[in-house]
Amino acid sequence: MSFKKAVTKTPHLENAWKPGLRALRAQDRPHLEPEDTQLLRGSVDVDSALQGEQANAHRWDFAIGYRHANWQKDFVYWVEVHTANDKEVKVVLNKLRWLKNWLVGEGKFLNAFKRDFVWVSSDATTFTLDAPQSKQFAQLGLLHKGRVLRIPSVRPNP
Amino acid sequence: MKTLNIRNLGQIKRAKLTFGDLTVLVGPQASGKSIALQLLKLMVDAGQVQSEMGKYGLDWERSLPNFLDAYFGEGMKSIWREGKTSIKWEGKGVDLSQIAKHKRPKKDETLFFIPAQRVLTLRDGWPRPFTDYAPGDPFAVREFSERLRVLVEQEFGASGDLFPQERRLKREFRDLLHEHVFSNFHLKVDKVRSQKRLVLGTQKSSESLPYMVWSAGQREFVPLLLGFYWLMPPTKVKRRNAIEWVVLEELEMGLHPRAIAVVVLLVLELLKRGYRVCLSTHSPQVLDAVWALKHLKTNGADAHAVLRMFEAEDTQPMRMLADTAMEKELRVFYFDGKTGRTSDISDLDPSAEEEGDSGWGGLSEFSGRANRAVAHSAANAEPELSK
Repeated sequence: MSFKKAVTKTPHLENAWKPGLRALRAQDRPHLEPEDTQLLRGSVDVDSALQGEQANAHRWDFAIGYRHANWQKDFVYWVEVHTANDKEVKVVLNKLRWLKNWLVGEGKFLNAFKRDFVWVSSDATTFTLDAPQSKQFAQLGLLHKGRVLRIPSVRPNP
Repeated sequence: MKTLNIRNLGQIKRAKLTFGDLTVLVGPQASGKSIALQLLKLMVDAGQVQSEMGKYGLDWERSLPNFLDAYFGEGMKSIWREGKTSIKWEGKGVDLSQIAKHKRPKKDETLFFIPAQRVLTLRDGWPRPFTDYAPGDPFAVREFSERLRVLVEQEFGASGDLFPQERRLKREFRDLLHEHVFSNFHLKVDKVRSQKRLVLGTQKSSESLPYMVWSAGQREFVPLLLGFYWLMPPTKVKRRNAIEWVVLEELEMGLHPRAIAVVVLLVLELLKRGYRVCLSTHSPQVLDAVWALKHLKTNGADAHAVLRMFEAEDTQPMRMLADTAMEKELRVFYFDGKTGRTSDISDLDPSAEEEGDSGWGGLSEFSGRANRAVAHSAANAEPELSK
């Protein structure tokens, strides 16, 4: 199944798929740099799409579909653009917990894709790559990036 | 602002260094950090270097290649490329062949160099004199060794404790070193027949541990401790003689991270005394400290926060030390071994776009890759998917 089809089959996301990075808010787009935009398989603003349904939940920001040049299947980058400081750690981890739960429920079609959960800093970062926080995130499956997520055309281990 | 520009010297293709109160050089092995630091010594102390070399019988016959071999060490004449190498100190071109040819007026030493090879300066637990080395050994090592010999013989001549010493280092430092380096041992001058040597022992027992059975960290640290003693005389004078600069190569060698933290704190003490300090390091912990000091200053944090970070006692002298450290200008330069160029990464921005910047010149890069590997495997692990 393609990323686009999985999105359209997901409750409340039926009309949320957008080509390229168009689902992202304008201020968030500079935080994403796909090496080859032709390989983009669309994007979804999960946060906005589920706002009515799950108003009080810690909703995740975006999903971006990408077909790496050496891959046979679409890959999904689950991206949260968020302030990166100690105070916000709990908020982002709550969002990750929500996302994982949602993926095994309503988001089951999107759960089938290989993926990265990525926290992209919306501004300056106050913890370092070798900080215990970064290790904690990694163990939970969350990759903390700097201000820009660069998506390479080719990705190892397809 | 003191600046050193180097082109085509050894591994360095192009370096532009602007020195702060504390300047930290990072980069892979053999990327030119040590050459840059030894060159800095030559820029500020040419007359003193020539005079010391002459005093100990080194004759380079006014030849630049011979001078380079005598100063940087045997085989180092090849770092100079005629017509291509250029050096500027404080914006003015410096011709090293002129330094080799013409004797400069003798001046007092203004830069004290603590070399990476400091463990070689003790033989059987006693500092080696300048002339004990081979003619091709680097000047910085020989000179440091000689300083330690003079210090131990003139200031600790009589048998007794070198550490702890009431008049050397603040009590807070002594306590930290006791705990994290010496494990409650004392560093003493001992005599076997008529030969003096440094040993570790306890206050109560007459038993002592000779140099060869010390831990690797203790063997590395003792010359460093003596270097700090040299720089912090037991008087009300803040600095030794005319010394303004301190170069400390690879302060972390052989030390546990807790001991490294104490050494970084001692570096802050050097800054408080008004020394301008240049470090080279392969330890991310050193950059952690620099990064934290910058952010603590920006966030308006107080001295307590600095002392908590170092797990140092919160006393008035230590608060003054921490306050001063936050006022200092801290700079970091990355020596890129592949391109031979340096870049100013003083911002130490973990979210910087360039990996060299966010990975702090390679010191955190492996952590970044380890995080990526674990995060991806955890995000796609089967148990996680079925939760």
